[in-house]
Amino acid sequence: MNKKYNVSKYLAYLFLITVCLIWVVPMIFGFTTSFRSQSEVVNEGFRLLPISWIVDNYMSILENTSSAPILRWIGNSLFISITHTLLVVVVISITGYGYSRMRFKGRDVLFFTLLGISFFPNVVNIIPLYRIVDILGWVNTPWAMIVPGLAGMGNIFLVRQFMKGVPKELDESARVDGASDFTIFFRIVLPLIKPVLIVGGLFSFIGSWNDFLWPVIVYTDVQKMPVTAGLLLLQDIYGNYQMVGQLMGSAILAIIPTLLLFLFAQKYFVSAINLNAGIKG
Amino acid sequence: MDKSKFSHWFFIGPHIILFVVFILIPSIYGVYASFTNWNLMTSPTWVGLDNYRTILTNQDSSFHHEFFNGMKNTLIFVGVSVPLMVAIPLVIASAIEHKKVKFKNFFQSIIYIPGLISISAAALIWSLIFNSQLGMMNNFFGADTVWTATQPYAWMTIFIMTVWGGIGGNMIIYRASISNVSQDLYESAEIDGAGPIRKFISVTLPSIRFPLIYTVVMTTAGAFNVFGQPLMMTDGGPRESTTVLMMYIRDLAFGSGQSIAGMASAMAVLLGMVILIISAAQYYVMNRNSA
Repeated sequence: MNKKYNVSKYLAYLFLITVCLIWVVPMIFGFTTSFRSQSEVVNEGFRLLPISWIVDNYMSILENTSSAPILRWIGNSLFISITHTLLVVVVISITGYGYSRMRFKGRDVLFFTLLGISFFPNVVNIIPLYRIVDILGWVNTPWAMIVPGLAGMGNIFLVRQFMKGVPKELDESARVDGASDFTIFFRIVLPLIKPVLIVGGLFSFIGSWNDFLWPVIVYTDVQKMPVTAGLLLLQDIYGNYQMVGQLMGSAILAIIPTLLLFLFAQKYFVSAINLNAGIKG
Repeated sequence: MDKSKFSHWFFIGPHIILFVVFILIPSIYGVYASFTNWNLMTSPTWVGLDNYRTILTNQDSSFHHEFFNGMKNTLIFVGVSVPLMVAIPLVIASAIEHKKVKFKNFFQSIIYIPGLISISAAALIWSLIFNSQLGMMNNFFGADTVWTATQPYAWMTIFIMTVWGGIGGNMIIYRASISNVSQDLYESAEIDGAGPIRKFISVTLPSIRFPLIYTVVMTTAGAFNVFGQPLMMTDGGPRESTTVLMMYIRDLAFGSGQSIAGMASAMAVLLGMVILIISAAQYYVMNRNSA
């Protein structure tokens, strides 16, 4: 019995270690290549580590602030993602409260109608959305990426579900004591729903940081675009892999912010994904 | 007391405005635009079913060719990537949840991290790996395959990158679901003489059916929107064999020439209908078979 478990244990380890190696090699390869000279890349073939580590690639990336301003792109992305995330947290908390605690006629009908409409595939609305953003004067501004995503229903649904688990007695008794909805919301409910707000915020941050199709459509000004759209231009700028180190260095710089976020908020990520799928972690 | 009658608008009102402006109106307008001739700037002119007729039946039209080629390639992507993006994380999650395996969170993190890398950053790295002269793949295996410009390799690069960057979420869901399965079920299966594979099929899979349904439906719906990987890895080639429908829609509506947003909207509506029908069918079939 024990022996059988041991064989399968080693098989599981072997499998997991193989998969993990396959998973990290591209990242290590990209990372180390960003420290290689072009001649080494061309002449030396595949090596995991550079023969000589150089930082010239990064110097030239950072100097190019006209056609590929990578730091500016990362700055744009940070501004967009952070602002979007903060606004998401505000919107989903007050709206989630409205749909779970306020009493008004047709509340649940309204909620499920909106939820149903939001399942409408968003390929259909992306073209008119561009027109609306254009009319608002938001093309090539951060608002094109910050605001439209606030309309989504997914996180509000999560907050509403989560609030069902918060005992109603708490706000009922406060109401008896004469507290207004605003007091109940800020003093009682908000602190209790913090976990689900962190979840919604985290996903909004990653989603907006990694969004690709929409920024490719809505930004044409190189100085205004977020980093995902910017990197699309690089294959042309750093000519068809004639400047491999610059390409890899740019990719690595673009990866760092979300990687840091993951390292600091790892446990929230796991509970976030499971909460989304309706599993108790 | 009257005041409280309206205070719910303070809570739900702002979002309703956002919803109407950024979801409701664009959705309705997207369907409307599909019946028009529209260049995105001036007001659309009604043409009835003309766009649909052209796309679906006019064999001489480039729109007809683009739609069917794009839909075919999108379906290839969905048909291959979705099974991979369910099966691979499921196997990994089972291995991680093996009773005697340690460092569970470490393995999980390694697999999850590529999901945090944006498509464009990941594609730059993968394009280099598959680069025919400089890439790791050919160097390592001593080959001279032109990966991104020859089939079936072009598709393979897209699938490899997609699986690498896209299975983390599903893996975490499966891992949590598997760890929630009652040990009693496994023990009684063992008493009945079930081996590991038998246990997996008749205990694990039925016990995690709801997360499975959820991930299959969500992964499929997401896969239909594929755009970044083929755009950056193969640029739709060779000979448009990896050009997916989203790429045609974007080119028609936002490409360099005159915008053909009406035609693009009609293609978007058709794609949207396929997504809705397939999601509904999946949900129905899986829910019924596992009930």
